[in-house]
Amino acid sequence: MLSGLLDVALLDSVMRALIPILLAALGGMICERAGVFQISLEGLMLIGAFAAVAGSFAVGSALVGVLTAAVAGALVSLVLAYGTVTRGGDAIVLGVAINLLALGLTSFLIAQLFGVRGVFQDPGIVGLQRFAIPVLSDLPIVGSALFRLTPIATLALLLVPVLWVWLFRSASGTRLRGVGERPEAAATLGVNPVRTKYLAVAASGVLAGLAGAQLSLGNVVQFSENMSSGRGWIAVVAVLLGRAHPVGVLGACLLFGVAEGIGFRLQGQGLPSQITDALPFVVTLIALAVARRRFKRVLELTAA
Amino acid sequence: MSDTATVPAHRRLRQRLVHGLLDSPGATSIILALLVGVVMIAVTGNSPVEAYTAMVQGAFSGSGLRNTIARSLPIITMGVALAIPFRAGIINLGGEGQMVVGGLAGTLVAIELDAPSFLVIPAALVTGALAGAVWAALSAYGQTWLQLPILITSLLLNYPARALTGYLVRFPFADPTVTSSSTVPVPPSGQIPKLPLFGGVSAFILAVLVIVAVVSIVNRRSVPGYETAMSGANSRFSRYGGVDVTGQTVTTMLFSGAIAGMTGTYLVTGETMRFLDGDLVASQFAWTGLLVTLLARHRPWTILAAGVFFAALQSGGLAMQRTTDIPWQLSQVLQAVVIVAIASGFVLRWRRDGGAPVDATGRVETERPTDDAPVGEL
Repeated sequence: MLSGLLDVALLDSVMRALIPILLAALGGMICERAGVFQISLEGLMLIGAFAAVAGSFAVGSALVGVLTAAVAGALVSLVLAYGTVTRGGDAIVLGVAINLLALGLTSFLIAQLFGVRGVFQDPGIVGLQRFAIPVLSDLPIVGSALFRLTPIATLALLLVPVLWVWLFRSASGTRLRGVGERPEAAATLGVNPVRTKYLAVAASGVLAGLAGAQLSLGNVVQFSENMSSGRGWIAVVAVLLGRAHPVGVLGACLLFGVAEGIGFRLQGQGLPSQITDALPFVVTLIALAVARRRFKRVLELTAA
Repeated sequence: MSDTATVPAHRRLRQRLVHGLLDSPGATSIILALLVGVVMIAVTGNSPVEAYTAMVQGAFSGSGLRNTIARSLPIITMGVALAIPFRAGIINLGGEGQMVVGGLAGTLVAIELDAPSFLVIPAALVTGALAGAVWAALSAYGQTWLQLPILITSLLLNYPARALTGYLVRFPFADPTVTSSSTVPVPPSGQIPKLPLFGGVSAFILAVLVIVAVVSIVNRRSVPGYETAMSGANSRFSRYGGVDVTGQTVTTMLFSGAIAGMTGTYLVTGETMRFLDGDLVASQFAWTGLLVTLLARHRPWTILAAGVFFAALQSGGLAMQRTTDIPWQLSQVLQAVVIVAIASGFVLRWRRDGGAPVDATGRVETERPTDDAPVGEL
């Protein structure tokens, strides 16, 4: 059974599931480190998915689509930054509202701009090409799954070590962590906490936007209503489980990616899709229970 | 509030109207949202006046009023359901899952139980409530036993709830005569009747009024009501003061899930008559209810008013979609903008004298009772 499960196709579907969650979670991690609780990843990802398709369709270029997604994600994320950082509002309330705003806005725009309901599919939408890294992509089994990816997927994987070094070895990364852990002390040392938090939230908007672009231009080439379908929430959990550390976050995302990949495979073997769809969420819940981390910060935020 | 006794009645009324309505963050946010709507309609090449006229007419005239009231019922009950834990500082994002699981359980009773209506309908609603409570209990005990935040687990459990009910109506409880994943229709004995009110509104409206009234009275007049408000304001103080915060977490979540499950049952046995996979999720009543609770700051009678308002936005939006070519999702956007604006603490300053329902920075305490209002008044 296992030998039938583990092969190139499985690795490929794991990567398809992993990349969007990983990008969004890395964005959430940056916010967490800056002391902003970011639960609007789901909505930002959806905005990104829509903007990517809209941009690609309008200009006929996948690159433009990707850039549109990044900009749109950043712009919408500023609603969260303004509400929490400038106005002192509740990050959870704002996050929930932004998720619903994104759902309404994308459903409104798909009908208004493209005159369709539910799904927008058109040969005019240019999808992302996969490119092969020479030599490495010829490796057996892992080669094509790991080294023949969309540029966004390659970026996501590279970001893990880059963010690791940046957070813990660079001056600006240390400042970011300072703002999250000791805002007053950071301010005393001349770091502007407001600017830092805005940048962190905008970065999460860009990354979640790219995650959406990977969904709508990489995994498939279309936009469908609510296509983020819970991935942004899994990313939120990945930040918690991975303790806002790039390697931990990658590990958590990998767990969900494998769960989804195996689910996809089992569906191919005749298991009802309703059961396999639930698999990543059930695995997430089990992982939370097994880890039994004391999620003090979240519990304090929810004041229980 | 003590000075109001010395003010003449007409001035008191004016104060209440001006301060309570115009000056509230709610009014400011609604005005702001409507302005955002104007921009969105204009940018997409339509007339805002025409669109809003169509919306208001669609929401209140002719069969519009009936549609608005029918739509408001599940929004209000979901609002109250989520308000119960929310008042104690617990955020239940799992209303959808609790509604869906309860909805299917209640529907199955309404289909299978061979008895007269006066037995079947209550049995179905109670079963729905129990199933919803069980689903909510998973999150509640997850927090009290394993320290897993309810915020996260309740949300995640929405997806297995969808999958589980989807599986059940696709296979064991499927109607073999239709291609969609759906139960058989609820027989007449299990259907909640309509009342000759506003041109045919479900009798569930009585349950809605009872739920709102009971929750309001419990909040104002009972020890648990006082204790939940205290926990919402400051859970550490509450614990120190002898409140069983753990028990409270479980209890409020159970009631929350129960009302959500009952709402799900009503939506099938009172409206659609079949549990169709994805139907209850697509309705988004759970999320609209959450927004309503946020707008009403978890006060039951205010939830009723806010629920009718959001229902009017939605039924008006659907009517607008029919007469103009503006998608009704505009209403969803407006709802979300209202809450973004409220959470960001936008308040128009109409008032010149003191007494602020918001604190000095203009920030609104969204998840806690306000400082100025005595707990007894919540």
